[in-house]
Amino acid sequence: MSYFSLILKNPFRNKTRNALAIVGIAVGIATIVALGLVTGGLKAATSETLKAGGSDLTVTEANSNFMSGTIDEARVNELSDISGVKNAAGVLRKTPTINNPVKGGFGSFSVNGIPRDKISVVDIDSVEGAMFSSGSKEIILGKTAAESLEKKVGDSINLFGESFTITGIFETGNIMYDGAAFTSLDTLQNITNSQGEVSTIYVQVYDDTNLTELSQNIEATYPNELTASSASALSDRINEGLGIIDSATWAISLLAIFIGGVGVVNTMIMSIYERTREIGVLKAVGWRSRRILGMIMGESIVLTLIAAVVGTVLGILAAEAGLSLLSGKISPAYSLDVFVRGFLVAILVGVLGGIYPAYRASRLPPTEALRYE
Amino acid sequence: MNKPIIQIKDLKKRYDHGKITALNGLNLNIKRGEFVSIMGPSGSGKSTLLNMIGALDTPDSGQIMVNGIDLTVKKDLSQFRSQEIGFVFQMHNLIPNLNVLENVKIPMLEGNLNSKQMENRVMGLLKAVGLEDKIRQTPNKLSGGERQRVAIARALVNHPSIILADEPTGSLDSKTGDIILKLLRNLHEQENVTLVMVTHEPYVAKMADRIVYVLDGRVSKKGEQMLGPV
Repeated sequence: MSYFSLILKNPFRNKTRNALAIVGIAVGIATIVALGLVTGGLKAATSETLKAGGSDLTVTEANSNFMSGTIDEARVNELSDISGVKNAAGVLRKTPTINNPVKGGFGSFSVNGIPRDKISVVDIDSVEGAMFSSGSKEIILGKTAAESLEKKVGDSINLFGESFTITGIFETGNIMYDGAAFTSLDTLQNITNSQGEVSTIYVQVYDDTNLTELSQNIEATYPNELTASSASALSDRINEGLGIIDSATWAISLLAIFIGGVGVVNTMIMSIYERTREIGVLKAVGWRSRRILGMIMGESIVLTLIAAVVGTVLGILAAEAGLSLLSGKISPAYSLDVFVRGFLVAILVGVLGGIYPAYRASRLPPTEALRYE
Repeated sequence: MNKPIIQIKDLKKRYDHGKITALNGLNLNIKRGEFVSIMGPSGSGKSTLLNMIGALDTPDSGQIMVNGIDLTVKKDLSQFRSQEIGFVFQMHNLIPNLNVLENVKIPMLEGNLNSKQMENRVMGLLKAVGLEDKIRQTPNKLSGGERQRVAIARALVNHPSIILADEPTGSLDSKTGDIILKLLRNLHEQENVTLVMVTHEPYVAKMADRIVYVLDGRVSKKGEQMLGPV
């Protein structure tokens, strides 16, 4: 037996009390880890999605949500004529009412109308089956949507009160597109009474085009009408939203430190009360005050490190379960940073929670400690 | 003749803001290797005296020298306790979650011996107290006498100059108490260690080389005469 093995042994003396303290701290750590993994997963998915798109700029209606908004279709050709623009495609996005919602996408199932010859702008290069024809009631489904709707090539699907024939199934790696469907723009405009409208204009540029200047140019030409964002700017905007979750994670971390710290102080003080005579004996046999201080601090940290391990496992399980329920396509982003944060919080709780009890134990007068009943 | 290992001059100690006088100018010399019993009624100051010798408590005034060390001026008293003193308490005060071997080893964790050296010393002592076959047992599996034997081994493990025993047989039946006293006496001789024992039992006190009677915080010659020769 060494000093360190004694520190490792002592937290297991009162199993029930220490187990409860461990659970209390572990819940806090689990929350930190789970939120970290989920936020990271969402960020990674967003980034993947935006990178997977074949366009360089996304033009939306000013002051509208990235997913909604209405733009005059005439702007598509006007943007094509701007210097530096290689290609521009207007996409109309509509959400039909269907019985079984698509799992694995970004929420609801959307049908996108796009000119047949512009399909490469949304990065759909190959299709299992065949591409839809212009002006027809043919449609191609993303792989996730097809699986969820249990459809295959050749099947028909009823959308907006019309029957569409599924001519192909595609997979891009983009969560948004793979959970959606694409059909001919004019077909979708006609059946949804949206003639002359698009929701988004995807713009491809030449290699030497300055994206920032082009964005500014578009926004200056169509003030209060259009907003142009590059993939990275969009990613930043979405990540800004996810940053709120990051802040919440930190707030929860602080709360976990506080609640866990109070729990550890309580547990360690109870432990010291029970072991007062024992501490008196340790002083009588020559243990220095700082060795006793170190022992109690060590026990406190061991307690919180066990809680960190338990909390990390619980956090991983919660993140995996939560994301698989919400969306089968987004997986937790495992990064050292998340686990380091969990363990640092645990150590901090151990140190802060252990200081006072350890100080008290180390300052106990040996004669009083030995008389303690 | 032997030089005193413990020299106490005019030792005073008051508690409760001076309302209770525990030691009132006590003077005492104890020779190296001596076995001394300290007797006296409850509240006479005998346990306070033992605590002062063991540096568990500090006097208000006076001087206490132990093995050449002035305890009234020495700062690091834990090192002194670790190297010079071995305590045996009335209640064995063993650590419940540690086994016999680990309990005896506890005082050695302050020292610099390696694990093998520690093990050898502990095993030697456990053999001497007759517990070599119970090294893995925890205190709750031992009898009162066995627990006190573990406490004696623990007191001796760091080769102290002095063993301070506070009513070591107080919680034991007379037969077990006798065994423990004989063991203490034998080990005091074998290990050449000074033994100072507080007791209120005259027959226990008479096992010592000398009896010191403490009354009202001082050594009382009258009390010693009352007890008769050892």
